[in-house]
Amino acid sequence: MQRYTFNILFFLAAVALVGLAQFGMLDKYALTIITFMGINCIFAVSLNLVNGYMGEFSCGHGGFMCVGAYAGSLISVAFFTDSKLFGSALFPPELAPVLFPLVLLGATLAAALFGLVVALPSFHTRDDYLAIITIAVNYIVISIVENIDAIGGPRGFSGMRKTVNAMSDVVNVPWMLIWTILGLFVCVMTIYRLMTSTYGKGISAVRQNEVAAEIMGINTNRVKIMAFMVSSGLAGLAGALYAHVYGYVNAQAFNILKSTEGLVMVYLGGMGSISGVLLAAVAFTLLTELLRFVIPWLDGVLHAMSLLPAGYELSQIWKWVIIPLILVLLMQFRPEGFLGNRELTQVFPWIKRWITFK
Amino acid sequence: MPLLEISGLTQRFGGIQALSNFSFQMEEHELVGLIGPNGAGKTTVFNIVSGFYASTEGEIVFDGRRINGLKPHRVTAMGMARTFQNIRLWNDMTVLDNIRLARYSWLGYGFLDAVLRTARHGRAEHAVETRAREALEMMDLSECAEELPKNLPYGLQRRVELARALTGNPKLLLLDEPAAGLNSADVEDLIRHIRWIYDEFGISIWMIEHQMKVVMSLCQRLTVINFGSILAEGTPEYIRQHPEVIDAYLGDEKI
Repeated sequence: MQRYTFNILFFLAAVALVGLAQFGMLDKYALTIITFMGINCIFAVSLNLVNGYMGEFSCGHGGFMCVGAYAGSLISVAFFTDSKLFGSALFPPELAPVLFPLVLLGATLAAALFGLVVALPSFHTRDDYLAIITIAVNYIVISIVENIDAIGGPRGFSGMRKTVNAMSDVVNVPWMLIWTILGLFVCVMTIYRLMTSTYGKGISAVRQNEVAAEIMGINTNRVKIMAFMVSSGLAGLAGALYAHVYGYVNAQAFNILKSTEGLVMVYLGGMGSISGVLLAAVAFTLLTELLRFVIPWLDGVLHAMSLLPAGYELSQIWKWVIIPLILVLLMQFRPEGFLGNRELTQVFPWIKRWITFK
Repeated sequence: MPLLEISGLTQRFGGIQALSNFSFQMEEHELVGLIGPNGAGKTTVFNIVSGFYASTEGEIVFDGRRINGLKPHRVTAMGMARTFQNIRLWNDMTVLDNIRLARYSWLGYGFLDAVLRTARHGRAEHAVETRAREALEMMDLSECAEELPKNLPYGLQRRVELARALTGNPKLLLLDEPAAGLNSADVEDLIRHIRWIYDEFGISIWMIEHQMKVVMSLCQRLTVINFGSILAEGTPEYIRQHPEVIDAYLGDEKI
C-alpha cells in the first residue's frame, strides 16, 4: 500500500485541483499561477540533474526551454491549425486532446537532440569553461530564433491558442493545467527512477569522483551526455507547456534571466534533492508573484514617507534586485539550500512510514 | 601466453623522463610487487596500464589484446581493476551503492529500461544487488552496507575500495599502496585479505607498496624501479640482498 501512497496522493491532489479549476472556484489568475508553478518545477528539477546530481554548472538552461517552446509551438500549429507557414492542418482539430502528447514529445525530443549537439563538443571541457559555453549557447539560440523571420523573428510566434481552444471545444476542462500536472509527474518520475537505478547513479559517481567512476568501468563521457540530454529534453517539455499556456512565445522570454531563475530555484532548494528543488520552485514562483504586489505597495509607502524623489517610481525591475539579493543571503547563511542534497524523506524520516516512492 | 606484457614503455612529461624502456611480464595467478623510492615512476606505470595516460612509446598487451590508448573504462571492462594510493570512493553514496556501481559495465540495460522499470531492469538490479551483497559479505563489510564511506575508519575504507575493485570480477588487480596510512593491526588484516583474495579467486595481483612487511610476506616476485627504469627484478630474497637496491631504496635497515 505504501508503495502507492505517493501516486494516490498526487492523483487526488491533481483531481482536486482540476476540479476546483473546472467549477470556477479558482479564478483565472490563480489558475495561471498554479500552472506556471508546475512549469517552473519541471524547469528546475531538470536543471537539477546537471547542476545538482552531476555537479556541472550549466548556465544556459533557458536556451533548451526556448528550443522546446518553439519546437512544440511549430508542431502544434502544423498539426491542428491552418497557417501561412504550414498550410492547412494535418489533423482535424477534434483530435487535439489525443494528439497533444505528441506535441509535447516532439518538443522534448527536439530539445534533447539540441542538448546532444551542445554536449558533444562542450563536454571535453568542464567547470568554468562549461558554464561559459552554456551561457554562449543560450545567447546563440535566442539570436538564431530572432533572426528567422518565418517563425516571427523578434516579434514572437503565436497560434498555439487555437490548439488549446480546439481541445476545449472537444471537452471543456482546464487542459493546460492537466497537461502541466502530467508533464510534472513524468518529469519527476523520470529523474527519480533514473537516480535510484544503478545506471543513473553513474551520474552521481561522476560528480563525487570522476577518476574512480572511469576506473570502475563507467563511460563518464557517455554518462555526462546522457544526463545533459535528459535535462535539456525536460526543459524543452517545460518550454512547450509554457508556449501553450501563454499562447504566444518570444525568444527573449528564455534569455539569461530565465536561466538564472532556474539556477536560483536549484540552489534555493538544495542541489541534488528533487523534493527540495520542487519546494524551491513553488516558493520562488509565489515570491515573484508576491513581488508584483509588494513592489507597488513599497513604492506607495516610500513615497508617503517621502523617502523617494517624487518623479521616481519603484518599478518591477526591482524584482531583479530583490531576487539576487535573496540568493546572496542564501549563499551566506545556508549555502546548501533548503534541504542540502537530501530528500524530504531523509530530513523527516517519519514520512517514510506513510510513503515509499516507486 | 602472459596475462600482461609490457614492452619498452617510455613516458615523458614535458622535459621529464618519468619512465624509460620499462618492460615487464606477468603470468596468470601471480602476485608481484613493484617497489622503488618516491618519484621513481611506480604510479605512472599503473596510470598508463589502466588507461589514464597514453604512453609516449611502448606497447601494453593485456589478455591477448593491445590496450594502448584505450580509455580506462574499456580497460576495466576487459578485466582489470585497481585501487588508488589516496582512497577514491564515492563518499556521498552508501557503501552498498559504491559496490553496486562496480557492475556498471555489465548492467546490460539503458535509460529507457531504468525509467520504465522494465523486466530487464528488474533482473539486472537484482543480480547487481546479489553480487554486491556477496562482495560485502566476503570482505566482512556487511554491517556497514548502509553507511557512507566518509564516516568509516580508514582501514575499512581501504577494504571497501578493495571490495569494489573485486566486484568487477577482474583477472588482474592493481593495488596502489594498499597499506598506506594503515596502523599495524589494519596491515595484518590487509595482508590476510589480499592473500585470501589471491587464493580464492585465482587472479593476478600487482601491487605497489612501501611497507616491506607487506611486500615481503605476499609477493612471489618483485620489480624495483628507480628514476623510471628497472633496477632489479627477482624473488624477495634476492631483492633483499641486492646491493644496488639496498643503496637506492632499502638502506641498511634490517628487514
